[in-house]
Amino acid sequence: MKKECIAMLLAGGQGSRLYVLTSNVAKPAVPFGGKYRIIDFPLSNCTNSGIDTVGVLTQYKPLELNSYIGSGQPWDLDRMDGGVHILPPYMQEGDKGTWYKGTANAIYQNIGFVDMYDPDYVVILSGDHIYKMNYGKMVEAHKKAGAACTISVLEVPWSEAPRFGIMAVDEEDNIVEFQEKPKEPKSNLASMGIYVFSWKKLREYLVNDEADPNSSNDFGKNIIPNFLAAGEKMIAYRFDGYWKDVGTLESLWDANMDMLSRGDLDLLEDSWPIYARLPSEPPAFIGKSALVEHSVVTQGCEISGTVLNSVLSHGARVEEGAEVSYSVLMPGVTVKRGAVVRYAILGENCQVEAGAMVGGSPESCDPDKWGVTVLGPGASVGPGETIAPNSMLNRDHKEVSR
Amino acid sequence: MKGLHGIIFSYEKHNDLRELTDHRMPASVPFAGRYRIIDFILSGMVNAGITDVGVVLHGNYQSLLDHLGTGKDWDLSRSHGGLRLLPPFASEQVRGSNGRFRGKMEALAGVRSYLEGIRQTHVVLADSDLIINIPLQDVYQAHMDSGADITAVCTSDLTETEDATYFRLDGEGRVKETLFPLNNPAGCHRALEIYILSKQLLLELVDECMSQDKVSLRGAVLQAKAGSLHIQSYVWDGYAAQVRTLKSYYLRSMELLDPAIRREIFHPQRPIHTKERNEASTYIDPAGTCCNCLVADGCTIEGTVENSILFRGVSVAKGAEVKNCILMQDVVISRDAVLHHVIADKNVAIMDSRTLMGHDKYPMVIAKDSKV
Repeated sequence: MKKECIAMLLAGGQGSRLYVLTSNVAKPAVPFGGKYRIIDFPLSNCTNSGIDTVGVLTQYKPLELNSYIGSGQPWDLDRMDGGVHILPPYMQEGDKGTWYKGTANAIYQNIGFVDMYDPDYVVILSGDHIYKMNYGKMVEAHKKAGAACTISVLEVPWSEAPRFGIMAVDEEDNIVEFQEKPKEPKSNLASMGIYVFSWKKLREYLVNDEADPNSSNDFGKNIIPNFLAAGEKMIAYRFDGYWKDVGTLESLWDANMDMLSRGDLDLLEDSWPIYARLPSEPPAFIGKSALVEHSVVTQGCEISGTVLNSVLSHGARVEEGAEVSYSVLMPGVTVKRGAVVRYAILGENCQVEAGAMVGGSPESCDPDKWGVTVLGPGASVGPGETIAPNSMLNRDHKEVSR
Repeated sequence: MKGLHGIIFSYEKHNDLRELTDHRMPASVPFAGRYRIIDFILSGMVNAGITDVGVVLHGNYQSLLDHLGTGKDWDLSRSHGGLRLLPPFASEQVRGSNGRFRGKMEALAGVRSYLEGIRQTHVVLADSDLIINIPLQDVYQAHMDSGADITAVCTSDLTETEDATYFRLDGEGRVKETLFPLNNPAGCHRALEIYILSKQLLLELVDECMSQDKVSLRGAVLQAKAGSLHIQSYVWDGYAAQVRTLKSYYLRSMELLDPAIRREIFHPQRPIHTKERNEASTYIDPAGTCCNCLVADGCTIEGTVENSILFRGVSVAKGAEVKNCILMQDVVISRDAVLHHVIADKNVAIMDSRTLMGHDKYPMVIAKDSKV
């Protein structure tokens, strides 16, 4: 059946800058904020924005992501018509099927999927951003301007502009130039990697791009510059809420800490709910000897130790005499008696044995060498062992360098 | 499990839960921070592999309907079988009594056509006021092994229980006598009101009781037929609580702060499912302290909370003090309020600086949606 607007969510990237955290899962399946995974944000944004058809393009280690999304029921995306669909690469007649060569190629290969819904507009999303956004308003702006492409942008401090894709605009917010990580930015409007396209136009550009053997088949590198070069109407849609790309270990840690301070990213505020799929677990238990401050705890947690400025996901356990501070504990982590975890991200089901010391504060070591300590999912730290700040261990207890 | 069908009776009979049952049946009274009492037996059935469950409704069942919905949270929303809600208007027989049945046999007679359609060979009957996490597949296995006509689950724990049924057992664990009411139950076992019997026998008993205008399972069947039927006990000495009075509700709730009891009731292989509500993790502010508490998701704690149970979405403001309390969904405690031994029902709001004190033996209950 025809839909006015559908969303395509790019979830196939490896997320190599999250290192051990994505050694077995795609980046969008990485846990965030106690109850969520990164992909809950774009999926919930879709359903809250009234978009009921979402294609999720997967490629890298999709098994956990696939089972997490399942029927789409937690996000109300289990629909009679539409709903959420997992779209992996597939074989085609002859030997034409390939892996997704780039973000644009991923959509190109699924033109058939989009055509089934014959939409006027397609929203392109990525699975590595934490934000609450009404895509419906962005589509409205796109329609009103009669644009071929609308790109959502965020004002960033000028000093940080060189880290982003920058959109230079005229006085009516028409995009006049696109600069990828410019040394001398012409504006401080950074692209958030969220696009609305008129489908007919995009379809045409995707087909042409595919025919170009020199193209890297990427939205940022090819499609957007081609739209600009051809003089298509492109507008910037200004967004002013919380938005963070959590593609690196530092930004993932930062975003978790941002959530704790309940400023722009207040997940307890319920006018724009973020949905998640969760196992059935009893309420958190906070014991007699526990001290918990400026932290979040989730169902299934058992806390008898000290927890400061930290995010505890479901099923996390902190035993008596243990201390967890400025850290993110993903689901099922256990920190045993007397162990200390500071400034660290502990992947799912990590075990920190009694008396171990994981990570440390920026004051505890040479500031140049300091960084967040990361344990990959399933890693364990032996009794009394010390894991230095800025180091990273995988499941087999091997040090991994950044 | 292919062989077993579940039937749960939701009852209004035990009505000593005071204000908690003003708007709901005991089955849907909130318990343990994020559950309703019926979740325990319903999850127990699902965890034992039971795919078809009928819930016999009775009285004020609106809130139970809201809770159970299509049964999807218990994996019971199926194209074939799954959850069936059985309202009391199903038959001629019960119409005379205003849609309210007087006993389980009458309730079953009211849904006789449903009973006939049961796909399984055996039926497990249970009450909805029982907090338990029992592997029902083991009870079913024991029933098949013993060759008994009826297997009755009971406990040797003789904790005083309102309107309890007691069994006197012989050396082989066969039920010789069913007793109620009983002032001195010494030497007896207390029924947990879980029974397994064949569908065939159940239908025969329902028809027989109806033709003689008998309504009670424990009177007309267990008591009257101890000689002619082989009624075998299944003694369960794990955790079990029949929540029938406010006193036992408070006591049984507070017991959950004991890790040993939580381990029994929240068994990792037999999870208790409930209606999901979307909520972020609970936030504990630097100004707040929280110790010896069971805290569901979505709470904001800025005050002091001790020895208490907080349901989803509760907020406790700065300076407030909450001790030995049960605060249900979305309760708001404002600045500097002090609450000891209080059970606050859903959506209760306590204004600034109010002081409310109940007692260990007589907790203060604040009815749903009240503002103090």
